[in-house]
Amino acid sequence: MILNFFPCLIRYSIFTPLPLFFKHQNLLPLSCSINFIKPISSSSSISAKTIQVPLFLKPPIYSTTILELKKFQNWAKSLSLSIGLKFLNLDNGPESNLLCRELNWLLEDVVEGEEDNPTGFLTLGCSENERLVRMRVEMEELYDLWKQRIEERRPFQYIVGCEHWRDLVLSVQEGVLIPRPETELIVDMVEELILKDKEMKQQGVWVDLGTGSGALAIGIGRLLGNEGRVIATDLSPIAASVAAFNVQRYNLQDVVEIRMGSWFEPLDEFKGKIVGLVSNPPYIPSGDIAGLQAEVVRHEPKLALDGGADGLDDLLNICKGAASFLKPGGFFIFETNGAKQSKYLVNFLNIQMEGSFQYVNSVSDFAGIHRFVTGFRK
Amino acid sequence: MQSRGGLLVFLWRRNGIIQKCFHHHHHYPLSSTTPKSSCFSSCNNLFNLRSYSTSGAAEMNPQLSNDLIKIMENRLSAIEHRNIYLQNFMNQPEASPSEYSRANKELRKIRSSMELITQLRAKQKEIDGLKSLIAECPEDKDMHDMAVEELDEAIEEENRIHNLLLKSLLPKDDADERDCILEVRAGTGGEEASLFAMEIFRMYERYSHKQGWKFEVVDVMESDLKGFKEASGAISGSGSFGRLKFESGTHRVQRVPLTEKAGRVHTSAVTVAILPQADEVDVQLRNEDLKIDTYRSGGSGGQHANTTNSAVRMTHIPTGLTVAIQDERSQHMNKAKALKVICAKLYELERSRLHTSRSKLRSEQIGSGDRSGRIRTYNFPQGRVTDHRVGITHHSIDDVMQGENLDVFIDALLLKQEMDAIASFGVDE
Ligand SMILES: C[S@@+](CC[C@H](N)C(=O)[O-])C[C@H]1O[C@@H](n2cnc3c(N)ncnc32)[C@H](O)[C@@H]1O
Repeated sequence: MILNFFPCLIRYSIFTPLPLFFKHQNLLPLSCSINFIKPISSSSSISAKTIQVPLFLKPPIYSTTILELKKFQNWAKSLSLSIGLKFLNLDNGPESNLLCRELNWLLEDVVEGEEDNPTGFLTLGCSENERLVRMRVEMEELYDLWKQRIEERRPFQYIVGCEHWRDLVLSVQEGVLIPRPETELIVDMVEELILKDKEMKQQGVWVDLGTGSGALAIGIGRLLGNEGRVIATDLSPIAASVAAFNVQRYNLQDVVEIRMGSWFEPLDEFKGKIVGLVSNPPYIPSGDIAGLQAEVVRHEPKLALDGGADGLDDLLNICKGAASFLKPGGFFIFETNGAKQSKYLVNFLNIQMEGSFQYVNSVSDFAGIHRFVTGFRK
Repeated sequence: MQSRGGLLVFLWRRNGIIQKCFHHHHHYPLSSTTPKSSCFSSCNNLFNLRSYSTSGAAEMNPQLSNDLIKIMENRLSAIEHRNIYLQNFMNQPEASPSEYSRANKELRKIRSSMELITQLRAKQKEIDGLKSLIAECPEDKDMHDMAVEELDEAIEEENRIHNLLLKSLLPKDDADERDCILEVRAGTGGEEASLFAMEIFRMYERYSHKQGWKFEVVDVMESDLKGFKEASGAISGSGSFGRLKFESGTHRVQRVPLTEKAGRVHTSAVTVAILPQADEVDVQLRNEDLKIDTYRSGGSGGQHANTTNSAVRMTHIPTGLTVAIQDERSQHMNKAKALKVICAKLYELERSRLHTSRSKLRSEQIGSGDRSGRIRTYNFPQGRVTDHRVGITHHSIDDVMQGENLDVFIDALLLKQEMDAIASFGVDE
């Protein structure tokens, strides 16, 4: 079953960058494809091999002295400060201040401290230096992790194994896109909608295409409550199992169902029945990928980023599918690369797909970039 | 406990603990003509003596002094007259609907006091009756004893009602029960002021923990030496605003700064503001009045960028208020905190508008209206903290900074507010 082919596939997608030309091909033999559309009933698919537990959830089985921690902090801090604006100028990467803040958060996640002030002991005087504190990783690994952060530009969220997103703490790991702050707004817009129109909440299923860590599906699942139903799909098995893990952590397994497969493929039975459709599909033009910030291009999955020549391949696919899968009056919201794509899509939905949609709009993110396209099925 | 001569015994119940104050003064200081200075010293006195007194849960209803009762009586008959006037007014057919509803509103406001006054009058009648009974039949021993016993009970009951009335007449700030936002800002004195701002901020954090309140750091702007240029915290816990509100103002520090080579004592200052927390409903905030933006350095954002920077800036368009929050790990949480602070600030704006248009009574409150006033000095060389409004000095500065003995000042300030309010019974209306 699914589990049988998980390990090899996952090793593959973590350690070998997925060649781009594989992206739209069927990755697995046809005989397996039936497994794709089976719901991943979360518990059975979460095997220890596939899921990396975030640091803050690990048991505090190690210990060290406050002095040792202070030494680490000083070392890591000067390493961060030595970066200055280097990464920023190079590829819009993090500057020292940001790295120092990340360092504090790393310590918060790794050390078992008081809830209110987890790293407060680091400001204690020398007399406390020999006191022991409990840790979730060994000292050596801690040094290693920070080296990876600076030298390999490994994203902070992969280092700690989680991303704080809205009011959620989502597990993430290599092979799964780290949810972006901009995407939070999709949930805000859905919230606004279902507050205004109760029917959107009760009458039908919500769908998140390309769910990644499960961020949108979980955010929406929590809005809908126990009555709601969300189906989240992803082509990547590693994303599917991380999403399932996160769904379970928020105790939403009765609300959010994860299905593996390409876009609408696993959703046949919901044709014309979807009341709300959200997606943040890959939208970066292929040619831009190589120039991305090191944290992204070196570490995040291409499958989650590359949207084809003009970045619109997947978005257009999804727009077309939306016409047949949304029920009349059904709502959609898609994230895009910005003004150019949004404008194109608004036009496409209004003109090429004339008669299918109404109230099509583009909506800006907090940086003023036209980030989203929204509308309703006629 | 009886009040005799010039001795005023004043007890008040705060936080479930009975606190007692003895006060020796030849002239009762709470009359309308009392000069301010005497009010100050009286409060000191009240306070100082209080710490020696014992407390007991049985003494729920202290005997109020005759002077206080006299002051209160004036106030009570004013309310009674007003009540009759309004009742009559409402019975007049020619009252316009708006006049009618205004009168009705005022009646509702004094209703609970009126209920107590009615009870009080009945009790007083009973007392008069019992007194004349006792005077009329001195020869009937049984009858006499019974009447005396009943009189005692009635007097005690009268006293109980007096206490309730006193409480109902003291000014109530609707915000007292609310949670609050603490803001600390380094003022004059550069780096030294920032270091002290950090210490003051921590002092309130410790104090909050001791009170069993939740203290959440909202945002901190650090100085070069790890001091705080600006810091804000959200304090939640019942009555936290009411207890901390008089902390608003300028706190002055005198000491040899870490940065000072010659060993000279410097004077620097930080300002503290305590704002009651409020929500969008309290301040009638409309979505379209808010503008939210990120102030990250350019770039395409979205899938292009991986950043842990999720700072947001929130602007309230009608007032131009802005708040920027960056320390949370998600944009959503930064936004939620920014909203909390914006709401508190808008609420405070609204309150100070009402405040200035309200009666003298409020504006006379212990410097609370004046944010710029210097309220307290922390003198490290002499190891003392002095509150200039109540003239109290505490000689263990370390305890205060640890959030231990802040109550010394807070209790005195609250008490002073009550005393001032009682003093104003005579002046008001
Ligand atoms: C930009 S990520 C978004 C992840 C998540 N929704 C979020 O906002 O954080 C795009 C996701 O689409 C998935 N994806 C890519 N191609 C897909 C396909 N053909 N069918 C379904 N999902 C696909 C990727 O695995 C990735 O998880």
